[in-house]
Amino acid sequence: MSDTSLIDQLEAGIEALHARDESEQPPCDPEVTKLLSLVSQLRALPHGDFKMRLQAKLTEAAEQSAGGFAGGAVEILTAGDTGDQRETTETVFRRNVLGMRSNVAAKDLKYVSFDLLPTLSGTGQYPVRRGSFIASLAAHAAAVALIVTSGIWAAGRVETKPQVHSVLVTDISYVLPPSSTETHGGGGGGEHDSLQASRGNPPRFAREQIAPPAIVVRNEQPKLTVEPTVIGPPNLTFPQTSQLGDPFSGVFGPASNGTGSEGGIGSGNRGGVGPGNGPGAGPGWGGGIGDGPYRVGGGVTAPRAIYDPEPEYSEEARKAKFQGIAILQVVIDADGRPRDIRVAQSAGMGLDEKAIEAVRRWRFEPGRLGEKPVAVVVNVQVNFRLY
Amino acid sequence: MKVLESGTNEQLKVAAAQRDPALFAELYECNFDRVYAYIARRVPTRQDAEDLTSEVFHEALRNLGQFEWRGLPFAAWLLGIASKRIANRWRRNGQRPEVAQDSAEAPGMDAGIEETVMLSQLVDELPPDQSLVIRRRFVEQRSLRDVARELGRSEGAIKQLQFRALQNLRVRMEKRHV
Repeated sequence: MSDTSLIDQLEAGIEALHARDESEQPPCDPEVTKLLSLVSQLRALPHGDFKMRLQAKLTEAAEQSAGGFAGGAVEILTAGDTGDQRETTETVFRRNVLGMRSNVAAKDLKYVSFDLLPTLSGTGQYPVRRGSFIASLAAHAAAVALIVTSGIWAAGRVETKPQVHSVLVTDISYVLPPSSTETHGGGGGGEHDSLQASRGNPPRFAREQIAPPAIVVRNEQPKLTVEPTVIGPPNLTFPQTSQLGDPFSGVFGPASNGTGSEGGIGSGNRGGVGPGNGPGAGPGWGGGIGDGPYRVGGGVTAPRAIYDPEPEYSEEARKAKFQGIAILQVVIDADGRPRDIRVAQSAGMGLDEKAIEAVRRWRFEPGRLGEKPVAVVVNVQVNFRLY
Repeated sequence: MKVLESGTNEQLKVAAAQRDPALFAELYECNFDRVYAYIARRVPTRQDAEDLTSEVFHEALRNLGQFEWRGLPFAAWLLGIASKRIANRWRRNGQRPEVAQDSAEAPGMDAGIEETVMLSQLVDELPPDQSLVIRRRFVEQRSLRDVARELGRSEGAIKQLQFRALQNLRVRMEKRHV
């Protein structure tokens, strides 16, 4: 039988199969019958586009579940590559690994470089560079160790921040009215002479005392001559005569610096004039004149700090994490400057010195007696705390 | 013939796909024809076969992490999923299967399925024009006129081409069987 006849018989049989009318299958050559049997099997094959569509959906689902594309950096040049016909990594990956179609045939590929990420354990189907793996492992271990140790180091270096709080503890005028009876001020001195100090006038008042007064001068030729003074308001003056002496003394006899100590004139001590204790004049203490420095009360108002920088923490106390309270007794002069600072309660560890150093820089609105500014003694409490 | 892969190679591919789902495509490529053939022999329409095949592979992708290698081919796992899906579909429709099913315990890869798989692969191996005309005329069941128009040839030329393609395919199948 000719091929033309067989082809016609085959076509008739195919048309009958397509029409689902196999009962009407015309009698044909055995060769055609075999081919028609094959056609029946072919009709059961899946459509090619269904396979591709399903593959695309699965790829999309796989990428979503994988959280991204898993290929390495790659660039591929095609046969006619002019620099702008480069395929993306994903295209090559889909064709070479996922088996998807591409419009670039494999035979057209001139150069392919594809580095897949190695699997961690090295047991997968991709090659693993063990050196890179070990280097990566070491780098990660070092990074973790660095993070951990830096945390420990930082925790150990938590610096306690020193906090210092100062308060003028005698500033109670806002809760207590000024006393109407008590005021103070004064000073005293002497040189352990056997005789009482001779009467006379004290030297002039000054804010600072460099040399205490003396009736009997021991060093006739001092290397540096300094005018003797007593501490008190400079605007406060005594009648200045040529005769220095203790105005509170009843002895008009031979010149004597008095029975007191630490320089000065009189029976007191610490370089003043009179029976008191301090560089002032009179029976009181702390400088000034009279029976001690003024205190708040007796019509005397408390001074008010207008510039009070906080003391620093001493290095020694900070290292020892030492906390404490220092109380300083300070005379606030009529012009608002502090003087005669002494420690009433010590905190130790160098904190007293730091407190004195700071309070010495303080400035005050002075206390007043009536309208007149006067020197007033106050206490300054300095709290040194570490938080 | 697209034969089942050796256990070790397939095991590696499964393990890789479990770590990276993007690599599931290789398992799909290896098993698509087999799963489709298994389903197509058990459901009445092509549409049903396509729906169930899609469901099987999506379920397999979702549950790939639960797959444990126990010596059976990966295809057996897929056919197990397919078997359950087919049974569910019949149950949902309140009907009995119109075609015979394999044993429910062990959905197998019978000779008919493997022959269909082989046939699909042989079609791909034909010369491009023969492969194309086979796909268009018989798989997609398009008319002679449509195929002639698409390929820019006469209907007579297409008749001759499909005749040679079928002969070629038959010869190749016989060689495989030998």
